[in-house]
Amino acid sequence: MSTVLEVAAIRTVLAGQRLHDGVGFKVNKGEVVALIGGSGTGKTVLLRECIGLLRPESGQVRLLGESVWDLPPDGLDALRRRFGVLFQEGALFSSLSVAENVDAPLREHTRLSQALRDEVVDLKIRLAGLPPEAAGKRPAELSGGMKKRAALARALALEPEMLFLDEPTSGLDPISARAFDNLLRTLCDSLGLTALLTTHDLDTLWGMVDRVVVLHGGRVIADGPVAEVARIDHEWIRSYFTAHVAARGTADGNGSGNGIRG
Amino acid sequence: MTEAGPFALDRTATGWTLRLLGDWRLANLAALDAALAGHAWPEAGPLCLDGSALIGLDSAGLMLIHNRLRAAGVAWPAVELSGFDADHLALIRLVTDRLAAPAPTPPARFGFLARLGERVSGAAAELPGMLALLGQISEGLLGLLRRPAGFRMREFFVQLQSVGLGALPIVAMMTFLIGVVFAYLLGIQIEKYGANIFIVDGVSLAIARELSPMLVAVLVAGRSGAAFTAQIGAMKVTEEIDAIATLGLSPIKVLVLPRLLAIVVAMPLLSFFGDLMGVLGAATVAASQLDITLHTFFTRMRDVLPLDTVTYGLSKAPAFAVAIAFIACRNGFAVSRDARSVGERTTATVVTSLMAVILINALYAILNPAL
Repeated sequence: MSTVLEVAAIRTVLAGQRLHDGVGFKVNKGEVVALIGGSGTGKTVLLRECIGLLRPESGQVRLLGESVWDLPPDGLDALRRRFGVLFQEGALFSSLSVAENVDAPLREHTRLSQALRDEVVDLKIRLAGLPPEAAGKRPAELSGGMKKRAALARALALEPEMLFLDEPTSGLDPISARAFDNLLRTLCDSLGLTALLTTHDLDTLWGMVDRVVVLHGGRVIADGPVAEVARIDHEWIRSYFTAHVAARGTADGNGSGNGIRG
Repeated sequence: MTEAGPFALDRTATGWTLRLLGDWRLANLAALDAALAGHAWPEAGPLCLDGSALIGLDSAGLMLIHNRLRAAGVAWPAVELSGFDADHLALIRLVTDRLAAPAPTPPARFGFLARLGERVSGAAAELPGMLALLGQISEGLLGLLRRPAGFRMREFFVQLQSVGLGALPIVAMMTFLIGVVFAYLLGIQIEKYGANIFIVDGVSLAIARELSPMLVAVLVAGRSGAAFTAQIGAMKVTEEIDAIATLGLSPIKVLVLPRLLAIVVAMPLLSFFGDLMGVLGAATVAASQLDITLHTFFTRMRDVLPLDTVTYGLSKAPAFAVAIAFIACRNGFAVSRDARSVGERTTATVVTSLMAVILINALYAILNPAL
């Protein structure tokens, strides 16, 4: 199994604070990996460092065979065409319709005719689980879940090999969140995508993620399948998983073992 | 058997076999589409899609095959698949499943008349909102009369500072320079008649009556009107207006009235300041070009510039101010929750308030012909 993303010895200092102190992990082809950690542990920052938006103090990010922070600018642009990003609030261009949003990367990076691009846009909108009629709507007219789907359609426009998702289910109601999880899993499996996502949503972890990377105190304290990570006897991990069970009032029936019951 | 680059169509005992040969991915989509379009399709019959010789396949490539086959009359479920690996089969299942629903009818394109009608009805739809704001402002003002303590004094002074004090340097510069230019051009003409002293009549009348109030209005519309719209519009986008309302405060009282009153107070003051600077600019030119000393200039001005003319010019300023503030606030509240809307509304504020200023100015001229 080939490695798609390899993060090694990342150190980040942000606003005078040491955020990452030697963070490293790998993501293999076809895997869906979740990055978890408390608020302020730098999950989103790490994600931004992986996609070339924020330069770490030191460390290596190898993405799709390229070293992200050693690439010349045009090399980084070429690399960016090979992965898609779903930002937390969707980051749809508010002045464009959904179809124009999805069309934007195609118009910029391919030489397809308008008719052919329209067909591709229609496909991506359908793949993201939006009704085809949503194409003509403005982002302001969409619900939170539909915005995320529209943003996902845009992220899929250039047939990416990898997806980065920042809190894909935040701000969605539990039903929409599960539907979005299922959609992501289906897309990753069917389109052969690799995905790295940050999340606070434990249902996402149990439901669709292959592996969990836990960030705590500037380091990776656990890395493995969720059922294994949940059993690790670490203060933060224990409280993270038990808080969830307590909040729901039921034990999780997903083969999680004793770990989550503390 | 026919060959055409990325695919081959073979006749078999039972029907047809379409063998995919090349790289069916987004990067080649245009070439693939051209190859498919330049190909004669057989009469509809059992079709087998063979992927054993594929180099690559992604959702866009698959969509192309699906849509072109459908256009040729081959409905997807009737297609038999052979030679695809498991990953491609999963992709095919997903894509063909999602594409099964019929395409939406594209929105009809409207002609010129329909677009014109849309614009007109859009403009007409603005009217209720404007009337509502007018009503709310009147209600707020009446409320202030009854309970003056409810006035947001602090916000009023903040606005007065930015609208009035902040505009002083630019008003000074503009009116002074217009005074200089006007006096210079007028001076060239009247010097030919040896009527140098009449420069004072022409310049002081023009500046006090028309130039200064208009220039100040144009400046305030561009400077403060645009700022009002952008501020209120940005607050609308970030839901701050809703927050003000849910805290039991009135957005009219908190945002509109202080701005309205500040601009109404500031504009006559700015106009008067503009009068002074304009005349000063003209007097400078008169002294240096037409041999009219400052003393002569101002003595003559006292004789030929009636106070009525000055007050007439200044009386236009509050009317301009109300129009600018109203249009700016209305556009601010009409911003919808996206980035482009703020820009569109700010532009609309400047354009509309300039038009309003010119109209009001014309109205004043017609109603006061004697001055």
